[in-house]
Amino acid sequence: MVKKSIILITIFTVLIVLPLIVPRFYVYLTSIILLTGLLATSLNIAIGYCGIYQFHHAIFYGLGGYGTALVITKTNLPYYIAFIVGPIVAVLFSLIIGLICMRLTKLYFGMLQISLGSLIWAVVYRWYSFTGGDDGIHGIPVPDFIADAKGNYYFTLFVVSISIFILYRIINSPFGKTIQGIRDNPIRTVSLGININVHKLIVLLIAGFFGGVAGMLFVVVDNAVFPDMMFWTYSLEILIMVLLGGMYTFWGPFIGAIIIVTLRTYLGSITQYWPMILGLILIFVIFFLPQGIYALIENFVKGKAHNADS
Amino acid sequence: MLTVKDLYRDFKGFMAVNGANLEVTKGEIVAVIGPNGAGKTTLFNLITGHLKPTAGIVQFKGEDITGLAPYKICRKGISRSFQIVNIFSKLTVFENVQLALFSKYSKTFRMFSKASKYFIDETNSILEKLGLLEKKDLNSELLSHGDQKVLEIAIALASSPDLLILDEPTAGMAPRETERCIELIKKLSKEYGLTILFCEHDMKIVFNIADRIMVMVRGTTIIQGRPEEVRCNELVQKAYLGDIC
Amino acid sequence: MNYSGILTQLIVGLSRTMILFIVSSGMSLILGVLRIPNVAHGSFYMIGAFLSYTIASFLGDVSYSFWFGIALAPIIVGLLGFFLERVFFSYLYEREHLMLLLLTFGLASVLGDLVKLIWGAEYRSMTTPVFLQGSSEFFGLPVPNYNLFLLFIGPAIAILLWFIFNKTKFGKIARAAAADKEMVSAVGVNVNLIFSLTFVLGCILAGLGGALVAPIVNISLGMDHSLIMEVFLIVIIGGLGNIWGAFLGSLIFGITQSFGILIWPQFGIIFPYLAVVIVLLIRPRGLLSSTW
Repeated sequence: MVKKSIILITIFTVLIVLPLIVPRFYVYLTSIILLTGLLATSLNIAIGYCGIYQFHHAIFYGLGGYGTALVITKTNLPYYIAFIVGPIVAVLFSLIIGLICMRLTKLYFGMLQISLGSLIWAVVYRWYSFTGGDDGIHGIPVPDFIADAKGNYYFTLFVVSISIFILYRIINSPFGKTIQGIRDNPIRTVSLGININVHKLIVLLIAGFFGGVAGMLFVVVDNAVFPDMMFWTYSLEILIMVLLGGMYTFWGPFIGAIIIVTLRTYLGSITQYWPMILGLILIFVIFFLPQGIYALIENFVKGKAHNADS
Repeated sequence: MLTVKDLYRDFKGFMAVNGANLEVTKGEIVAVIGPNGAGKTTLFNLITGHLKPTAGIVQFKGEDITGLAPYKICRKGISRSFQIVNIFSKLTVFENVQLALFSKYSKTFRMFSKASKYFIDETNSILEKLGLLEKKDLNSELLSHGDQKVLEIAIALASSPDLLILDEPTAGMAPRETERCIELIKKLSKEYGLTILFCEHDMKIVFNIADRIMVMVRGTTIIQGRPEEVRCNELVQKAYLGDIC
Repeated sequence: MNYSGILTQLIVGLSRTMILFIVSSGMSLILGVLRIPNVAHGSFYMIGAFLSYTIASFLGDVSYSFWFGIALAPIIVGLLGFFLERVFFSYLYEREHLMLLLLTFGLASVLGDLVKLIWGAEYRSMTTPVFLQGSSEFFGLPVPNYNLFLLFIGPAIAILLWFIFNKTKFGKIARAAAADKEMVSAVGVNVNLIFSLTFVLGCILAGLGGALVAPIVNISLGMDHSLIMEVFLIVIIGGLGNIWGAFLGSLIFGITQSFGILIWPQFGIIFPYLAVVIVLLIRPRGLLSSTW
């Protein structure tokens, strides 16, 4: 336990001093990794901890981004309202989609969510006058203090840290244990007197909200939104981060995000076959690494400790 | 305490429960027996709200609970274990029982406090009663089959029910585990005054621990009475027991 | 647009619906028996379309090239499906179900890029076969012959599938396996073979849909994605694993879509989704509940 907190503090310290020592591009990359890590972690709350087949999580990321971007570009409201509106839009759609999909069993929940999500994508894609269509919206202004790479990096670090802390608390709360019970055995939870639909809906709202927060952060870091943010291949990408890192672990998805974002940044620029690489990674993980990388690291560390003991 | 009157359940023309009657009074151990496919599990599902009856009445403590949602029935004080192992496999033994307590004290919506601080003593005392205390930090999927069944009873017990319903509690257990489980049921009844309703196919167990027995054949109640009465009832012998008497 | 113009439009829309039905019925089969909402199903459809294009252009402008495409493309897609089922899916049946679903995601992603690698990113188009060009009077309305052909072939496939699953031994076993896998394998049936065959049949239907749609659309990357969304909706409306449900679902989808685009060209695609939501509010398990 003590060890874990030492590791966390070390990582946090490194993250704080990072912009002072590395070039601007890496600061930007780290910002993207941080917000994507939050995105993957928020998906994991639904799929890993509650067993809900949230197959189109990118929708909430996109909605958070578009919500923020539209308030900034179309209204004169202050910035902080834009930063709040994004996640709220994501939550509202989580609620609507959730209420519709919850009528179905697990499998069909996922199918319908993909379909409804694609509808939202299609509307955003076609609604030129409002959303900018397939171009999206670029050059979105943000307040001066977070306009440069360092500024938006610290803003991202701050928001992501708080969000991750909240999510961590939720997972280890009675509510968090309850949703894990729902995942493991829904029938049993019902006969314990737990209303599983209400719990699941709340999980969807939480996942949607923090997905939206990640989208809002993307606007701050990249000053742009575009429909690809909410295309289904991006949902697949987030799913892969979760699975690659480790679905039933808290930090796994973050590790997955680090790996996938880094790979995409370097490979995505030299090949046009990034989706195929993603697909192959996914297939590899399914067959050879179903527990995810985090479990691998954990076992390795434990094994070392064990060896040292004996 | 529990009264089931003329209960029917129809599955697309097949009457799984076809006129079941049952009476459980406080403090008793009541067994439901009957050949495979007699509708015992269906009857339990009807009582606990997992299925809705086609006709008939289920009364609990004088209140009509027919067709209520399972979680509502649970809150009225009926708790059950299942025939197949039905635990939260990725949680620890401790957390399994604790989860039931969250529900009992309506804490399942607490999001920002540490789960591990809740109900430590109460959880431990339940685990101790059932002899699972040493294994409390184990992941429950790593328990032996017998221990998993006991853990199920522990979960059911945690909501401190007035009536505990056990669906084939010893199914798939090794003989020694079975013995332990029987002792456990007796102890729960005697020392903690629990009312227990269970079904079982092992006759020896039934006649050993039940105060009263209800016999079901093809969904219909044939008789409910004390073990001696049931043992010597002609209909029962014909339908089920063969030549035990 | 005048009254008869709208009706013609509707009949053309309806005929395209038949293609949706053929592909959806394949999905429905796989869903009913194997319990996989196969995301890669759209890829099989796209591959079917590209294959049919390649076969037709390889054979050149001869009258039978179209038939070759229609016959060969589904078979090749079926073989591909067989290969994938044996190499990947069959190892996951005993594992957590989610892994199987994610696998289909991964395959869709890989297959999509393979198509890009083989055929390139440009649009392809092929002409309708000569004898199906032109149009005929259909209840007094001018309807292209190819669409009439589709209107005929859709119900024909429906009846064929109904026959396979209700009258043949394979179909009866497949339905039993869908209901209770353990039971069927306990009586000595090779369930894996049944699964494999069902999967292949589903893929063949996807390939056939692709081959049939090839002459009337631009064959392009991305057709897998738009199709899979439609097919998911159809299967959800219709009720799972039910052939007639898929048929009914396709009709509802096709009609709401054609009317929707007529009324509101930009966002007409919303209407089928509204239909789905309404259906689900009334019947959460789909219109025709799963019979197997």
